[in-house]
Amino acid sequence: MNFPRRKGKMLLWLRRAALYLAVASIVVWTLAPVAWLAISSITPYNELISDRATHWLPRHPTFANFKVMFNLSSEVGERFVYAIRNSMIVASSVTAICLVAGTLAAYALARLPVRGKKALVLSLMSIRMLPTIALVIPFFVIVSYIDYGFMGIGSSFHLFDTKLNLVILYTTFILGFVIWIMRGFFLTIPMELEEAARIDGCTRLQALRHVVLPLCAPGLVATGILSFLLAWDEFLLALIFTRSNNAITLPLFIAELGSQYITAYDQISAAGIMAAIPPVVLALLFQRFIVQGLTSGSVKG
Amino acid sequence: MSLRRRDSDGRRLAWGLLAPSTALIVAVVIGPLLFALYLSFQEAEPTVGGINMRFVGLANYVHYFVRSDLFWPAVRVTIYFTVVSLVIELVLGIAMALVLNEKFAGRSFVRAIILLPWAVPTVVNARMWEWIFAGSKFGALNGLMKVLHVFPPTYDRVWLGFDVPFEGVPILGPFLKWMGVTRALNMIILADTWKVTPLVVLLVLAGLQTIPDSLYEAATVDGAGFWRKLTHITLPLLKPVLLVILVLRTMELFRVFDIIYIIMQYSIRVLGVLTYEVGMKFLHFGSGAALSFLVALFILGLALIYIRLFYTEEGY
Repeated sequence: MNFPRRKGKMLLWLRRAALYLAVASIVVWTLAPVAWLAISSITPYNELISDRATHWLPRHPTFANFKVMFNLSSEVGERFVYAIRNSMIVASSVTAICLVAGTLAAYALARLPVRGKKALVLSLMSIRMLPTIALVIPFFVIVSYIDYGFMGIGSSFHLFDTKLNLVILYTTFILGFVIWIMRGFFLTIPMELEEAARIDGCTRLQALRHVVLPLCAPGLVATGILSFLLAWDEFLLALIFTRSNNAITLPLFIAELGSQYITAYDQISAAGIMAAIPPVVLALLFQRFIVQGLTSGSVKG
Repeated sequence: MSLRRRDSDGRRLAWGLLAPSTALIVAVVIGPLLFALYLSFQEAEPTVGGINMRFVGLANYVHYFVRSDLFWPAVRVTIYFTVVSLVIELVLGIAMALVLNEKFAGRSFVRAIILLPWAVPTVVNARMWEWIFAGSKFGALNGLMKVLHVFPPTYDRVWLGFDVPFEGVPILGPFLKWMGVTRALNMIILADTWKVTPLVVLLVLAGLQTIPDSLYEAATVDGAGFWRKLTHITLPLLKPVLLVILVLRTMELFRVFDIIYIIMQYSIRVLGVLTYEVGMKFLHFGSGAALSFLVALFILGLALIYIRLFYTEEGY
C-alpha cells in the first residue's frame, strides 16, 4: 500500500518505525518458542527446573539429551531410533504410493472425458472433510477381525502394530489430498501444449509423460513434500494402531515421553527438535513450491 | 483420427488412470465408511474372541442428541475453540501479511522463516507449549511475566488450569462457563494459533499479489486512507482466498483432537476427544461411529453455509 504524500517527514518516519516494530514482533513471535525448545534441549535437567525469571540460558550446556536418543543400549534411545526409522519408512512409502496413483487420477479428472466427473470431484472434497476418527472406529473393528477373527489366532498375518497397516491407513487421507492438489496443477497447464504434442503424433500417454509431467515438476515436488509432511505429522492413527518398536512413529514417541518420566522436558525438547528438523528443512527449502501447492489445490475449484 | 474415436479412447484411458486410485479409495475409505454407518446402528462392544453386535436403529444418534449430558457441552466447547481460533488466525494472519507485503530491509529473510511454525509437527508443538505453559517457576511464560513485572517474583500462574476467564463479570462470566471455556483452553488456542497462522499469512500474501497496484494508486488520488483501502479494496478482493481459508480451517478446527488430547487428555472434551473416548477408550464402537458421523455432518453443514454465503453475495 502506498503512503499518502505531503504528510510531512515526521509522520513518514513514525510509520517506518511502526513497520519495523511490527516486523520485529513477527520475528520474535515466530522464533521465540522454537528458540526456547532449542535452549531447553541443551540444558541439563537440574538447570531446567530452576527459577525461570533469573535462569534462562544453561550454565553448563550439554548434548546429553541428544546422545541418549541415539544410544541403542538405553530403552529411550532404542525406541527413538526405531520411531524415526518407522516414521521415515511409513511417510516415504505412503508418499510414493499416493503420488503415483493420485497423479494419474488427477490427470484423468483434469483433462479426460469422464462420466460423472463432477460427482467424483465432489466426493473427493467431502472425503477431505471427514474427521479421521470417523475412519478410526471401523478400521479398528476390521483390523481386529483380520488379526483375531477369520484369519484365526494361529495365523502369522497381523495388521495391528505393523508399518503396513499404517501405510494403508495413511493412504485414506493422503491419496485424496494428492488428487486434489495435482488436479489443480494440471488445470494450470495450457491445453494447447498437449494438443500440439498430439498433432505431432504423440499419444495421450506420451503427451502426459513428455509434455505435461515435466511442466508439473514443481507441482509434483510440492505435493510430494506436503504428503510427506502430513504422514510425518500424523498422530491419532499411530496412537491407536501401534504399540511396539516395530511400528511406533515419531509423534507417538514424543507424545508418550512425558508419561514415563513425568517432566522429562529436556528429552522431549531434544526429541522434538530432531522430529522438527526434516519438515522444517523441507518447508524452508521448498517454500515457494509449497505455497504454490497450497494455493493451486485450494483456489482452483 | 475421428473425433468420436478419440473421445472413446480418452474415456478408456481415463478409466485406466483412475482405476488404481478408485480401487484404493473404495477399499480404504468408502468401504470402512459404509461399515461405520452400519456400526452406528448397532450396539457394538468387544467380547472375548469377537465383537458383540445388536441392532438398535437410531438409538445411538438419539442418545447423543437427547439424553447424553456429554454431547452438547462438547458441541459448545468445540464451537468456541473453532470460532475464537478462526477469528484470531484471520485477524493476525491478515495483519501479518499486510506487514510482510510492505518493503523493508530483510524482507526475504522474514518471509522465509515465517513458515517455520507451520512445519513444526503437531505433537512437538503441543509438548513445546505444554512446557512453556508449565505452571511452576520452571515455566517460560511465568518467567517472562516476572521479567516484564506483570507478575510479582513469587507468583506462578497455573496456565493450564480450569478457572473460567472473566468469572466475576456478569453475563460474560456465566456465558463462558456455559460454553466450557477454561484458561487451559484459551492457552491451547494460543498454541494452535502460533502453528497455523503462517499458513494464513502465506495464502493471504499470495492473494495480495493478485491485487493490481493501480487500484491503490487510484484510491490514494481519491484521498482514501489506510482503513478505507483495507475495507474497500483489500478485503473485498481477498474474498476468494479468505473463503478458502475459512472452509479449510473450519474443517480442521472442528475436528481438532491431537493438540488437546496431548496436552489435556480427556479434561477438555471437544467433539474429537469425546468421540475418541467413547469409541476407543470405552470401546463403544456403535456410539463412537454415530458420534463421528455427527461431527462429519456438522463440518459438511458448515462448509455448505460458507459456500452459500460467499457465492451468492458476490459475482466472482
